[in-house]
Amino acid sequence: MKAKLLHGGFELVRRHRVLAVVLFLLVFPLLMPYKALAINILIFGLFAVGFNLLFGYTGLLSFGHAAFLGVGSYLTGISMVHFALPWGLALLIGVVAAGLVGLVIGYLAIRTRGIYFSMVTLALAQIVYYAFYKAEQWTGGENGLRGIQVPAMELFGHRFDFIDPTTKYYVILVFVALALWLVSRVLASPFGAVIEAVRENEKRAAACGYDVARTKLLVFVISALICGLAGSLRALHLSVVPIESLHYLLSGQAVMMCLLGGMGTFFGPFVGAAVFLTLEDVVTTITRNWMAVVGGVFMACVLFFPAGLWGTLVKRAERVVRL
Amino acid sequence: MEITPSLLAMQLMTGVALGAIYALLALGLSLIFGMLTVVNFAHGAFFMVGAFIGLYFLGLTGNFWFSLVLTPLVVGAIGLVVERFLVRPLYGRGIDYPLLLTFGLSWVLIEAMRVLFGVEGLPSSTPPILRGAIDLGFGYFPKYRLFLIFATAVVVFALWLFLEKTRYGLIVRAGSRDGEICKVLGVDIARVWLVVFGIGTAIAGLSGALAAPTRAVNPEMGVHVLAESFVVTVVGGMGSLPGAVVAGLLVGVVFSMTSLFAPAYAELSIFVLMALVLLVRPQGLFGKAGLMG
Amino acid sequence: MTVAPILEVVGVSKHFGRFVALNNVSASFEPRKLSAIIGPNGAGKSTFFNVVSGAFPPSAGKLRFDGRDITGSPQHTFARLGIAKSFQITNVFQQLSAHENVRVAVQMRHARYQLLKARADMREVSDRASELLARVGLSGLRDRAAADLAHGQQRALEVAMALASEPVLLLMDEPTAGMSPEETKVMMDLIVELAAERSVILVEHKMKLVMGICERLLVLHHGEFLAEGTPADIKANDEVRRVYLGQG
Repeated sequence: MKAKLLHGGFELVRRHRVLAVVLFLLVFPLLMPYKALAINILIFGLFAVGFNLLFGYTGLLSFGHAAFLGVGSYLTGISMVHFALPWGLALLIGVVAAGLVGLVIGYLAIRTRGIYFSMVTLALAQIVYYAFYKAEQWTGGENGLRGIQVPAMELFGHRFDFIDPTTKYYVILVFVALALWLVSRVLASPFGAVIEAVRENEKRAAACGYDVARTKLLVFVISALICGLAGSLRALHLSVVPIESLHYLLSGQAVMMCLLGGMGTFFGPFVGAAVFLTLEDVVTTITRNWMAVVGGVFMACVLFFPAGLWGTLVKRAERVVRL
Repeated sequence: MEITPSLLAMQLMTGVALGAIYALLALGLSLIFGMLTVVNFAHGAFFMVGAFIGLYFLGLTGNFWFSLVLTPLVVGAIGLVVERFLVRPLYGRGIDYPLLLTFGLSWVLIEAMRVLFGVEGLPSSTPPILRGAIDLGFGYFPKYRLFLIFATAVVVFALWLFLEKTRYGLIVRAGSRDGEICKVLGVDIARVWLVVFGIGTAIAGLSGALAAPTRAVNPEMGVHVLAESFVVTVVGGMGSLPGAVVAGLLVGVVFSMTSLFAPAYAELSIFVLMALVLLVRPQGLFGKAGLMG
Repeated sequence: MTVAPILEVVGVSKHFGRFVALNNVSASFEPRKLSAIIGPNGAGKSTFFNVVSGAFPPSAGKLRFDGRDITGSPQHTFARLGIAKSFQITNVFQQLSAHENVRVAVQMRHARYQLLKARADMREVSDRASELLARVGLSGLRDRAAADLAHGQQRALEVAMALASEPVLLLMDEPTAGMSPEETKVMMDLIVELAAERSVILVEHKMKLVMGICERLLVLHHGEFLAEGTPADIKANDEVRRVYLGQG
């Protein structure tokens, strides 16, 4: 009887997973010591969700996703700083630009397979890094892009004060919720089944009649669009775009967050982002050498908890329900 | 600036010297991949550790040659420990896990160097014996860079001797093609993996020690180098040792030639080269077509 | 007078480095017939199967399906055109349930890049998958993960997946490999049933199995066709006897 209730509850949450996550995120700021961390987790959670679509669900390990976050940030920033475009249009431009870069990088990277893929995506993302680094008049080079002003936003006829952290959080949450809904739809769609098939067994998927390369490319672009959105939101949040946004270490952070949380689960990336950023926050107060701690925790996860925190929880719960 | 043949020749030589380091790095990477099917994302970090340790031993003993011998031994030893306790548990799991682990390891190594040697890095200079330049006929070329080329040639030759002429080298070559054969022949394949990983990281450490006099030595130096060594392995073909050497030299030359004609695009040029190779011949110059599609 | 062939193999060769697996083989297959490629191990049967099923292109020669040149086409085109295959070493989606395995295969004909519709709403696809599972006798195991199925059941699953794309031509590589005698009988009966509705080409090295049911046999030896004809012709063929001495 208990198992049946649990099973039913489980199914309910699974079918309405977007709603469940959004409800959680609505109260999330109340759990966090300060709002800036909550906003950061929201943005990087979205970044990790976009990355997870490619890594957890399709099985492609990209080490160049910072390119999409960075392009989203920079193009949004450049639109506003150099072209005085309104934030809404700038956001759209950032997202579309990230998608286009995703198309190019994806096309080249997908021509390789497995092991090569990680190396190629890293190297191609470095091109984007160097390009933006050198284009100083547009990007500010080493010092980053500054001066992205968003004092207030007009949304649905309301005027929101964007400077107040709480308002900022909830406005960003609107976009994140939309993106999550889209990701959920894609995963539940026929295409979602094709993604799964490609991850499980490429040869078999091709024998069934699915164009594996095209499928991968499409997921790559969707992933890039989502990460681009995270980048655009980040630019609006920070009012600056640091050059580190395009750096390989940020790509690595996406990987870490996904693994820590649980790749191939819907909520895992958020958990991973929260754990990673909170850990970084806490550890930096204790020691300067937080990278070693996080690196060590990550290695421990790879060795002992490959399903990640949330992933392991989900697996345990599933086992209980089945009994 | 006038482009004369001697200027071109000088730039070519500079490219070869740069390429020598790339070749060494790619050799280590390809060796580890060919034998263990592991992409060592900590390879740049081992390079960086080698640079630091090389300078440390140089400071300790005052002898450059000592440091060149000791550094690969120390870095290789670290590699042995890493393979035995961190990478080996992951072999059954899937091709991404060792990669992920070495990535995490790189963070720890970078931080370790920060703790041991400071965030600023160490000052490096050319050892007195190898200072100055030699007249090559078309210009004066730094002695140290010539030494780099020579040292790389020695390492490549030594590796070739080991792989082609020794019994153990035969096992390594056979094992890279078919691990099962080794098991059948009663060879402890785990021991072979251990040794190969150690050799690969030792070479990375050595290349770091060799490169130290030519660049800034700081904890971040391995990050760019990692991307560059990936470019070399993609261009040459992953797992191919001749590919690593040829592609390393090619990438070095492309970089230095672009520095001459369009200096702003020098770093970009090698990535463009990689993109071209991906379009035209995705398996790399010496790679086997089977790895692709 | 003669029926247009469903599959034509024209002068096909395949090299792996210096090794010649197939040497200028040609064959023509009529529709709605059950044919088999037989031959001793190492004859080139698997290579022939792989070329004809689109796993890799031939080094030379042409492949024509229903009059259309498909030489060098990518693997996924084959299924879309109506050529389905089952692998020699079972190749299914291990972590997915039996039903999902077949459902995914069926879905190919209905939707590939549909991003926003919920696939749970596509009843026709799910129902068709259930039908196919029933046909191969796996209805009771529909929710079992493919990895947890017995060997013979996995082979049956492969057949269901091959049928899912509504193929005109069904290619099967040693369909009874590793099966018990009972399982073999069930599979062979199924194959005969399927051959009544569509063209089937088998690759087999167990001669006895195919002798009784096939209408046409082609014997491969060292990458070339040694003989072809009805089972009676092949039985009477001395060369085939010699090659197969002690085999099948």
